[in-house]
Parts: sequence; structure tokens; C-alpha cells
Amino acid sequence: MYCVETDHLTYRFARNEPVVRNVHLQVPQGSIYGFLGQNGAGKTTTLRLILGLLKKQQGIITIFGKSFEEHRLQILREIGSLIESPSLYGHLTAVENLTIYQKIHQAPKNRIQEVLELVGLSGTGKKKAGQFSLGMKQRLGLAIALINKPSLLILDEPTNGLDPNGIIEMRELLKQLQREQGITILISSHLLAEIEKLVTHVGIINQGQLIFQGTLPELMSRREQSAGIVLNTSDSQRTMGVLEQLHLGGAVESSGVVLPFVQKEIVANIARELVRSDIAIYGIQQRTDDLETIFMNAIK
Amino acid sequence: MHLLNIFQSEWLKRRRSLASWLVVIGGLFTPVIIFTMRMVYHQRLSLPQKFQLPDFWQVSWNQSWESMALFMLPMGIIMATGLMTQLEYKNNAWKQLHTTPQRMATIFCMKLLIILIMLVQVFVVFNAGLYLFGILPSLLLSSVSYPAADLPVAMIMQWNINFFLDCLPIVGLQYALGLHFKNFLVPFGAGFLLWIVSMSGLTWEYNYILPYSYTMLDYLVLAGRKIRIGTDIHVMSVMYFAVFIVGGYAVYIWKNEKG
Repeated sequence: MYCVETDHLTYRFARNEPVVRNVHLQVPQGSIYGFLGQNGAGKTTTLRLILGLLKKQQGIITIFGKSFEEHRLQILREIGSLIESPSLYGHLTAVENLTIYQKIHQAPKNRIQEVLELVGLSGTGKKKAGQFSLGMKQRLGLAIALINKPSLLILDEPTNGLDPNGIIEMRELLKQLQREQGITILISSHLLAEIEKLVTHVGIINQGQLIFQGTLPELMSRREQSAGIVLNTSDSQRTMGVLEQLHLGGAVESSGVVLPFVQKEIVANIARELVRSDIAIYGIQQRTDDLETIFMNAIK
Repeated sequence: MHLLNIFQSEWLKRRRSLASWLVVIGGLFTPVIIFTMRMVYHQRLSLPQKFQLPDFWQVSWNQSWESMALFMLPMGIIMATGLMTQLEYKNNAWKQLHTTPQRMATIFCMKLLIILIMLVQVFVVFNAGLYLFGILPSLLLSSVSYPAADLPVAMIMQWNINFFLDCLPIVGLQYALGLHFKNFLVPFGAGFLLWIVSMSGLTWEYNYILPYSYTMLDYLVLAGRKIRIGTDIHVMSVMYFAVFIVGGYAVYIWKNEKG
């Protein structure tokens, strides 16, 4: 059962190229789904479409197994969201900001204190939200998203502006929410490293297209496949010759000669052969398995 | 019950906002100015005699409405309506509001209701200010007695209703513009321009066509000036309000991006 499902979701601003193309998102119930993509990849547009903040042009959006268009109010009662920067009334206190949403959702009054304690803002008193630090604003935004005890939490880059400690705290809080309350969390980020310790499932979007979707172990398996060694030498062509002699494949790229991941003994042997062939070695590095690399491999 | 909760949530947003201060300042400005003038020039103005005249309240009422009808009320509505809709834009809050379980019509109507209630507040503050600052000289100056004339409640109520109706087209159009444009200067600039046009067209044969002119036209009637108005401006006022609100709502719900 998918908590959120989109089918052939496509969206374009004015007459421009589509920013979201045929996205088929499947967020399993009870999962923490990391929605990854570089800036401008289409993450926020997809999330805004799911929440009805953008008028859908093409495709189907189903949440909790129901069509969003037909059951908008019923679905929104069960959703908490934080899209981009938090929406806070700067002239009001944290309690007043939460009261606005507590009243709309008809949540019990004591829920305000509960969520404030949950995000660590219970001591802000009469301080106006406009005077909060970026991290505090982000946490208050999360408190607003939690005020109605949602079954689905949609968070767009919620760690923006948080310090490393704040990121860890937010991660632990989200894990706790998923573990204890069974909330499904759809969280977007442009940094894989930031959410890989949190998510159970991953979707990667690039130029509006979903290029990978699966569990975290599936992504890690792809990541290992994409790992490699980069040889930075004085002569890339002769280096390729040395690799051929050793029956190793490789390719010349802008960063140097790249070959698939090999054991360290083989790396030492390559280095020995390069020196013997009088080729200067400027560097031997393991290729970083960043999101960009995975993107590139997924696109290939 | 749910609607009452939504109303309370919208009402909370105006707490400590500039718009809520405008209600107090706008309502009390003219009564305070008139009071100050009376206190400073009480001898020159022969206040003891004036306070005993049978038309004391009528004269005070007419005096107070001059600046209110011509300037304070139209400009105050233009500013306050803009500030109320700007609360969502300025705080980047439309996206959060539109992901709450409310119909778009509910959000639209609640915000409008808040603005109309604030307008009623201005009238209440203005009337209260007019009375309190009207009698204050008699409490502060020994030579001035409490006004001899009775407060003409029926006349005051009638003119309050007239002026309230006159304000509706301004509220309607400013609200529609404020919801649509993120930049505060657009509704403010348009409102200011329409106010200038309306003021320049007061003596025009078809002055009743200008939707921002009604408070001014009604003041001219109140002050007994010779002015020709071709039709019932209160009916026109309600019609304009209905058109602006329906148009504003259509633009609001058909907007592609809701935050």
C-alpha cells in the first residue's frame, strides 16, 4: 500500500519546458522516503503538486489510496507539511503561531505545548517568531506541521539553516516520529549524505524525471557499482596502455583515468607499473560516491 | 463550530499588526485633532457658547467627517486592506494556509469578514472618540459646560450606515487586488490613483460611476454643499462591492500557484 502515489505527473510553468515529467512516485506506508535531487531538479514542484499548491496539469495524485482532487479536505486533515522556508507570522509568538493552526485543525489546546516540547521551543515565551534564529524558525515550522498529529509528513529541505547539531536532532526526531507514531515521512533534500542515515526509501529526480526509486539498500548497491579509482598522471594515454597490460579496463575523463573499484593490492601494482613505465603519478584517489556520480550513472 | 475556530485563527493574525493599529489611529485621529484645536484656541472659538448651541453635535459631526470622508477613510481602507492580505505574502504563509483543511471559499470569506469587522471597529472608535473628545473640554475647562444638546443618535446611526456602505467598493477592489498581487505597492498605487481620480471627478456629471468617490459625495451631502448625484450611490456601492468580490474570488480560486 502506497501512502503517496503519483502517475505520469507532469507540470510546466507557462510555455516553458516541463519541470516535472511523467513522475511516478511511490511512497510506501510507514516509510521515510528521501526525495533527492539537485537544486532545480523538480523536487519542490513535485511536492507542491502533491499538496495542491500548484494546479495539476497532467497525471494522477493519490494519497492514502484516495484521489487528491476528490478528497482534498479529508486528505489535508491527515497531512503536515513544511515547504521551503517556514511560514511564520513574524509579529506573533511561537504559541500564537501554533494557535492559528491548532484552531483550524481543531486540535486540543495541550497539543501546542506537546509540539513545542517535541521541537525544543517550549521556553521561547513572549519572543516573536520574527526574532527567532533560522534554526528556531525551522523547528517552529516543523511544530506547525505536527500540530494535527499527521499520518503523512511532507518536508521540503527541512534541515536548511540548521547547524550540524540541529541536523542530528531533527533526524532523531523524525526517526522517533516514524518509529513511535508510524508516520510516513516524505522528505526532500539535495544532499544524499544528509538523509542517508534517516531514510528507508529513496527517489532521485533529475531534470524533472524520476531516475531512481527504491529502497536505501538498492541505492547503496548502485553506489558501490559506481565507485572507482581515479589515476591522475602525466600521460593519460600511456596510463591506459599500462592498464591494458594489467588486463584492467578504464576510461579517460576530465579528472584523469578512471577505472572500476579494485582491491588495494592491485592499486599498489598499478602504481608500481606506472613508475616503471616512467609515468609521473600526481594522485590516486577513490572516486567520491556523491549524489552527482549516482545521478550520472543513473542517467547513463 | 469549525467556522468559528477558523474565524478565531484569522482574527489572531491581526494581533499587534500594523493594520490593527491603523484601526485605532484612523478612528481617533480626527476627534483628537478637533479636541486639540478646541483646547488650544478655546477662547478664540468661544467654546462656552458653542457647547450650549442646539446643533453642537451636528456641527461636531460634520466637522469630523470632513477629513474622515475625504482622506482618512479611503486611504485607511486602502492601507489596512493591503496590510491584511500582505500578512500572508510577507510571512510566506499562503502555502501553509492553503495546505490546511479549509475550502478556498472559507479562507476568502473569513479574511473579508475580518476586514469588514475592522472597518466597523473604525466606525465604533471614531464615534466613541467623537463623543468622548467632544465632552472632554467640559471636564477640563471650568468655563465650558457639558453640551446642552442631546446626542442625535438616529442621525449619527444613519450616517454611519451611509458611510459604511460608501466604503464597500474600496474594500472590495482593494481586497481583490491585495489577494492577487504580492507586491504591496500595486494595490496601494492603484487605490491611491483611484482615490485621486475620484476626488477630481466629484463635480463630474457622472460622478456616481467612480467607486472610490462615495464617501466624499456623501460628505458633500452631509455638509449641505450643492452637488448633483445622478443615482442612489448606496445601491451603486453595494453593486460595485458585489462585482469586485465575485471578480476577486474568481481570480483567487483560479490562480495556478497557491503559495
